[in-house]
Amino acid sequence: MNKKISNIEINNFVSQNKVTFLLYGLVIILFIFGEIISKGFLNYDHICAILRTASFLGIVSIGQTIVILTGGIDLSVGPLITTGNVFVCMFINGQDSNTLWAILFVILLGALFGFLSGYGVAYLKISPLVMTLAVGSLITGITLIFSKGAPKGLASPILRYIGVGSLFDFFPVIIFIWLILSVLCILLLNFSVFGRKFFYIGANEKAAFFSGIKTNFTKTMAYSISGATAVLTGVLMAGYTHTAFLGIGNEYVLWSIAAVVIGGTALTGGKGGYVGTIAGTIIFVLLESILTVMNMPEAVRKMANGTIILILISIYYNQEKAKVKIY
Amino acid sequence: MKEKQQNIRLYVPIYLIVVCIYIIAGVIEPIFFTWNNNVNLFTRVTPLIFAGLAQTFVILTGGIDLSIGAVIGITNVIAASLPSPDTPLNLILWLFVPLLAGLTIGLINGLIISKGGFPPLIVTLATGAIWLGATLCIMPIPGGSISLSVSRAVTGKLFKVVPSPLLIFVVAIVICHFVLRRTEFGRSIYALGGNETIAYESGIPCSKVKIWVYGTSGLLGAFSGMFLSAWMFSADPLIGQPYVLNSIAVAVISGTSLSGGRGGVVGIIGGAYIFYLINNILNLLAISSFYQFVAKGLILILALIFTSSGVNLNIKELLRGYFFEKERILEKVGNNEQKD
Repeated sequence: MNKKISNIEINNFVSQNKVTFLLYGLVIILFIFGEIISKGFLNYDHICAILRTASFLGIVSIGQTIVILTGGIDLSVGPLITTGNVFVCMFINGQDSNTLWAILFVILLGALFGFLSGYGVAYLKISPLVMTLAVGSLITGITLIFSKGAPKGLASPILRYIGVGSLFDFFPVIIFIWLILSVLCILLLNFSVFGRKFFYIGANEKAAFFSGIKTNFTKTMAYSISGATAVLTGVLMAGYTHTAFLGIGNEYVLWSIAAVVIGGTALTGGKGGYVGTIAGTIIFVLLESILTVMNMPEAVRKMANGTIILILISIYYNQEKAKVKIY
Repeated sequence: MKEKQQNIRLYVPIYLIVVCIYIIAGVIEPIFFTWNNNVNLFTRVTPLIFAGLAQTFVILTGGIDLSIGAVIGITNVIAASLPSPDTPLNLILWLFVPLLAGLTIGLINGLIISKGGFPPLIVTLATGAIWLGATLCIMPIPGGSISLSVSRAVTGKLFKVVPSPLLIFVVAIVICHFVLRRTEFGRSIYALGGNETIAYESGIPCSKVKIWVYGTSGLLGAFSGMFLSAWMFSADPLIGQPYVLNSIAVAVISGTSLSGGRGGVVGIIGGAYIFYLINNILNLLAISSFYQFVAKGLILILALIFTSSGVNLNIKELLRGYFFEKERILEKVGNNEQKD
């Protein structure tokens, strides 16, 4: 009797998480495909290198996932990454003693800008797409004014260790940080009251409001978290590249959205989660890596990325047979 | 009558803001009012107006088109890489090939979105990446050339008086307005954006309308790319990228609701002008271009607060409420609630 129930439970679990299994299957297939194309793709060092690249995208996607779950979208992550990158280098200026305060201050700044977009979206009822676009423009301007167009300063040795070093010369620190943040995010989204509210708001905002959820406050918090994680990514990138660079975050706006969508989170909100996003991130980076190994030019890489996104969403939506209208 | 009142409420704030900025700029720097500076502005806003028109059509159905940048890029590149410039053959090809390319790309987008039932945001993001890749295959670095006569005709002055860009965008907006307000296709776009299920049940061929809406968007994007090619006298594969988000911003500022079904094209000129007025003013005042981003962001946010659906800008009622008949207004609200 007990065994039967557990079988049913397993079946339920599998059918509910079909997309997630599909995604992780795709990750494994892509790794094997890479090994076939060029020997040494599955080396421990190379896998670490891929995950290291993926961890930056993964950390931005934490915020993006939460925002998209509430039915919004955050286009200000790109400028925020640049801001974090430039400001942290400026404040640290190569000194270990400044590091902690600089990082804390910059993350607070990011959360503040996130709060600004969240306030506009939740309380002033401005569409998230344009509100975050406007805030992004504002942030770009502020970064340019403070750095005077030529970012100065260097990352400190500690930050540099976080960016490129390894724990016990074995496990890269940055992947470790991504792991911790992922666990925290999954715990928040799936096992806490506050995290579940994001799903309810995304599924039906009115119903959530009438069930006593402070929808406006929760939405604002989602954008603040997104701002903080985006800036943190910029800080970690400063550790990776040692210096600041003004265009560092530009590509990450659309990449993070693509990673979240590949990971199976619906753009209408309320459905999905960070587990899928992790797979989406790795798939995105793996694909780039494989195409680079195959010596493909930039143009072909862009086309391949687009095609993969199209194929994946056609699989999702045929499976769900749901007609989704908005966006 | 009611529709007209609503429209006035949508378009008036945006033009008020533009006129205010314009006058302030002119007072600070008299050069601003010169005819040459204005002709310069007409030329600058035209590509953005076309991109905004393209985006408005799609947004009215409740969708969004992120591939507009790639469409502008690819049509721009095609227009500048046609064979044998300065011959009649080149002129004819320039008139038809980019438009056909834009229309085809749009129709493909529409087919995928309407037949597959996928969200437009991610479909157009993906097709945008694909077409950008194709553009880079055709022309990896900026280059190419077009007929001199085309360039002169498009960016010059008609009969040495009327600037052609002004003529082009006014005609385009009039045609788009006519299509949206006075044709079956236009009315079904609004119906579709308002409520797709009801539109379908009232006999509107939803998927057909959607396909042609994306086709129209591609066509208007192609106009933008062609104008850019004539203006720049060459092509750049990445020229369309800034237009992706700017076109959305223009459409929204000019009063079109992102959830679809409300808005129009009359406010587009105002929306596009806000973008370039700021740049123009700061350039004339010789202020560092870094401040342009901050100014753009702030003005966007302000314009959004005024035009967003959440804040009803009913000044008359507000004044009445504050100064004269506060109680009557409250009574009215009470009545409305009872009706609900």
